[in-house]
Amino acid sequence: MSKQRKSKQPIKKRVTFSDDTTVTRQSHGHKKDSIDHEHPPVFVRKTWLTIPYHLIALLYYYIYGSEFDSTTLLFCLLPTQVAYLIVQFNKCTIYGNKRLKINYSLLLVSIFASLLLSVPAAIIAVLFGAPVVNKLFETWLLGLHASFLSYPVIYSVFNCDFKVGLWKKYFITIIVGGWISCVVIPLDWDRNWQTWPIPVVVGIYLGAFVGYTIGSYI
Amino acid sequence: MDEREIKRSLLSVSADAKKIYRLRIQKFKKSHLLYVILFGSIALLQFIAIAFFTKGFLLSRQVLDNITPLDSNVIDAKFDKAVILIVDALRFDFVIPVDSTEHLNNNYHNNIDILYDTFKNGNSHGSSILLKFLADPPTTTLQRLKGLTTGSLPTFIDAGSNFNGNVIFEDNLIRQLSENLNREILFVGDDTWDALFHPFLSNNSLPYESLNVWDLDTVDNGVIDFFDENLKKNDDWDVLIGHMLGVDHVGHKYGPNHFTMREKQLQVNTFIKKIIDSIDNNTLLVVMGDHGMDHTGNHGGDSIDELESTLFLYTKKKNIFRKHDDFTPYNITDLGKNYRAVNQIDLVSTLSYLLGIPIPFNNLGWPIEEIFHSKNDKIKMTKRVLDQLRTYQEIMGISFQDPESNENGRSMNESFFNDIIATGSYELGQKYQSILLEKCKDLWARFDYYSIATGLILLTISVTILILITKLIPSIIVNQMVAEFSPWIVIMCIISNVGFYGIYYVFKQPIFIDSALWCCLLATSVGITVGIFIPILDRYSLTWVFLRFFQDTFSDYWSGIGVAIVLIHALLFTSNSFTIWEDKIVSFLLITFGILTLYEFVFLPKRQSTTALLTATMSEKEGTTSGVSTSVANSNALPLSRFARLMGGYHSIILILSTRLSSLITICREEQSDYCKPTFNLANNYSWWSMTLVFLIVFLMPSCIKGYYNLTSSYQAAAPIWIDLFLKGVLFTNFIYWGLTALENTSVLIDYDMTILKLLISRIIAGFSLIATNVGWLMGPLCIKLNVHNTDVKSHQATILGYTNIYGSEFFLLVINTVMSIVLFNKPLAQISLFLMCNQLLSILEIIDLLKLKENIIGPIILGLLSYQQFFSTGHQATIPSVQWDMGFILSEKIVFPTTHISIILNTFGPHILVALSVALITLWKQPPDVLKPQTLLGRIVSNCGILLIYNTILCLSSFIWVTHFRRHLMVWKIFCPRFIFASLCLIVVQVVVTFGTIGFATGRLIEHINDIFWK
Repeated sequence: MSKQRKSKQPIKKRVTFSDDTTVTRQSHGHKKDSIDHEHPPVFVRKTWLTIPYHLIALLYYYIYGSEFDSTTLLFCLLPTQVAYLIVQFNKCTIYGNKRLKINYSLLLVSIFASLLLSVPAAIIAVLFGAPVVNKLFETWLLGLHASFLSYPVIYSVFNCDFKVGLWKKYFITIIVGGWISCVVIPLDWDRNWQTWPIPVVVGIYLGAFVGYTIGSYI
Repeated sequence: MDEREIKRSLLSVSADAKKIYRLRIQKFKKSHLLYVILFGSIALLQFIAIAFFTKGFLLSRQVLDNITPLDSNVIDAKFDKAVILIVDALRFDFVIPVDSTEHLNNNYHNNIDILYDTFKNGNSHGSSILLKFLADPPTTTLQRLKGLTTGSLPTFIDAGSNFNGNVIFEDNLIRQLSENLNREILFVGDDTWDALFHPFLSNNSLPYESLNVWDLDTVDNGVIDFFDENLKKNDDWDVLIGHMLGVDHVGHKYGPNHFTMREKQLQVNTFIKKIIDSIDNNTLLVVMGDHGMDHTGNHGGDSIDELESTLFLYTKKKNIFRKHDDFTPYNITDLGKNYRAVNQIDLVSTLSYLLGIPIPFNNLGWPIEEIFHSKNDKIKMTKRVLDQLRTYQEIMGISFQDPESNENGRSMNESFFNDIIATGSYELGQKYQSILLEKCKDLWARFDYYSIATGLILLTISVTILILITKLIPSIIVNQMVAEFSPWIVIMCIISNVGFYGIYYVFKQPIFIDSALWCCLLATSVGITVGIFIPILDRYSLTWVFLRFFQDTFSDYWSGIGVAIVLIHALLFTSNSFTIWEDKIVSFLLITFGILTLYEFVFLPKRQSTTALLTATMSEKEGTTSGVSTSVANSNALPLSRFARLMGGYHSIILILSTRLSSLITICREEQSDYCKPTFNLANNYSWWSMTLVFLIVFLMPSCIKGYYNLTSSYQAAAPIWIDLFLKGVLFTNFIYWGLTALENTSVLIDYDMTILKLLISRIIAGFSLIATNVGWLMGPLCIKLNVHNTDVKSHQATILGYTNIYGSEFFLLVINTVMSIVLFNKPLAQISLFLMCNQLLSILEIIDLLKLKENIIGPIILGLLSYQQFFSTGHQATIPSVQWDMGFILSEKIVFPTTHISIILNTFGPHILVALSVALITLWKQPPDVLKPQTLLGRIVSNCGILLIYNTILCLSSFIWVTHFRRHLMVWKIFCPRFIFASLCLIVVQVVVTFGTIGFATGRLIEHINDIFWK
């Protein structure tokens, strides 16, 4: 991708892997027909449409409905995330002045990619101090939750030609949500929701909710 | 060709340049000394702050070792034998009938009825007393047992008592019984007794493990069986003591409101019934609780529920006790709220009277009135107790001159006392005793808020000063000001000392400065504060300082992260759970830093790193003046190359992995209970795999360090000697030492006494690493090499290998010396952790260098975090039991002044010492010799050292504040207080090492030495 752009643009400039905003912003200046000059060609529209209401519903079900059954939650998460992507998120994703149509084969590929991504996610959790041996399944479950929460973003990464720089913030908000939620783990309240990985699952859901809601503004 | 000549031609120094550098070095030497003085006085200020706070907070009691002799004056014993049953956590309302539906709870009320029934109706077959028994806080079993047997008020740390050994040698009932009266004391139950009274108990005693709160029955059934067996064999014992834990454990496990509580209480009830039936006429039965429990079933604090316990005395003899004739004092309504209560410490004199024991020396209690049947006995006993109290008062030097005693109409002078003695009046005597008790409580059990406040204020001032000097005021200006500080400090100290003495001579001094020493300390601290603030306020206004502080703190991303880490760490002390889990949280934070840097190297986001830019421009100037090509000097300003990013990512990963691996090593604290599995235990430490790892470290540690040296091709000259020879050799000898220890611990086959051999090895290692290598380092081991190509001889061109890291590589050799000396005093698993620490340390240095964060506060903060993470992973916790006392006996068989203490300090504060030394490396690592002036270099090192100190001081300050806030908290003595002691000790250690080791010794010597080489 970067090579392509280089050949198009005569202006000599450094190509780095740093935040793509600067790069995209500069390249944007050439397009006359763009309505909004401030925005790069790849972006998420700033609308209410991106708010992932289903995450709140899922959380409500998780906390009050299912007594913190992480597995069931995961099975509920998958279809709702796909629906969210098709109905809401993809409609807000703009790539070069046009909305992208849903690519159904890519949907499947992304599910597979999410499955793969759950392993590094679980590894990160272990690195941060998650139990290594005895709660491996729970940790992997957490990884699955995290990767399926980022499912729309993974799809968009594929769909928008690997412009990772734009989508990074969504991953980061999910991780930050999980990071912050660790606060409650050591507290001695003896609640059943303090067992691993429930607090972090709730944390990443909240993080994802915040991320998808305000992601287009950051 | 002469090396000197090459050097000369290489560096092409003119005579002028030489002159300039000689001047610079002279200036450097002078300001170096001034810096040491400045930091020394700040250290002094902090020590004074800690001293004041400790004095105010740590209630200490002077324990006198005097023993009351067995004199002829002893009143004849009423009983020959005694059965004492302690039911742990027997709250008073458990044993009295409760009928009001408001309070009634069937799980814990009306189950134990035998005591009150016997008391109320039991005159027909003997006499008995049932009283409410008021404990003194802290209501923990250990403290209560001390109180019950010595008649005194135990505090957290009894001054003069030994931390290590638990046995009470203070005069107590058990000791009197065993030593003076030669009674056979048979004990069964809670093993706290065994720890406290082991030498005095019979060999047939049967202690049970007490800490396993989940086990409700083992101890109780053991006690019951043991009593069954021994109550019949009357001749085997004189005093039979049982300590049941069931009720307490049910409380801890389920809380009182649980059906198991009912079962337990019914069991206790039947058991007491059985004892009452089986004792003979000449035996006294004492049933008591040591403390109560709160509504959650826990205890330790000072709420009414925790303090109220039960005392029950029973005998089959008639007319021994005399109850109040009407039952009004024994009012059982409202859960016995107005029931007659006696103090727990009163038991000592009571039992002394009943069993004819000399009253223990430190006793402060007063015999219970009901035990006297005849008036004569009462007068006699009153006189005896008064005698004992008077002796105690005189020896303790307690005087009654305060208004409190004057309220009674007469002062407690000799004549008044003689009056009491003459009349033997029980009531007057009790008045005297209660005043004495109040006085002693005043001395021991009350916080001295003035001292605490003074400590807090002084420590806050010291943090302010440190922040001002190291962060807010540019180091160049501090450099100029440093000459003004020391005269001001000295003058102001003298003035304030004179002033304070003068004022206190004329006016009465406040109570908390009770002696000349404390007065002097306070005056000195005020002098230091004023002396430092005068030159600062001379140049800066307060508003500027405040503005600068907020600008600086949030100036850039990494400073923000650093501040956040310090704040999070400091705020851990706001909750007991966070303090308990500090080990995990600290490694979580360190890994977070690792992940952040990894992100940085992978994605390279643009940051407004102002400090990096500043560094670049400054070194540009320096570079040009000192003749180094501008491109080298400016390399700081260039973006990271692909290789640098790769290296950075690698180092981040190493940091993350090492941190995670070492955090697997943990010695869990008691409070972490089920959620933590201790890995740092005897079995693992001396297992074959940990010994194999220790053996591998012999080769791994040198080669890892070598790898880091090779990055700048610094593995030259002295480096191979140090790393490949010294370090490897010491590690190998160390492996032999620990291998022998492991053999001793695990193998039964070897019964050869290896003490001498082990002492020999350990002393060789200690002598070599503590003394010899450091002397060697003083000689200035350079890690550079002149690389003269044969073909290039004529053109006089040569390269100096290791030139770019000349400071860092030499300084790190000193760190290696410290590692060598610390490794010996750590157990095998901790050694593995220390090996990982070396990798973490060097990786952090590389990361900081790559991200150009040498001037940023994040560097020292991360190193500080590393020291805490490693403290926990080398098998420590912030608790007193987790101090590895056995390490004190590595260099000597007995406790000998310097060696034992050095061993324990090196064991406990090893990581802190290492970090306090290596903090200079943040500046020195990869610092070529001729870019920065010696002055500037020193200034930057001092600033980094200061930030490490700020970090530790803020932690210390936070722990001070929160331990004061939680002073009435249930867990204060178990969690917050040890953490505050640990924080103070950390600060002291870091302060001493930084001031005298890093700044005073190492940096001065190193900078001087390297500049000598290059510019003489």
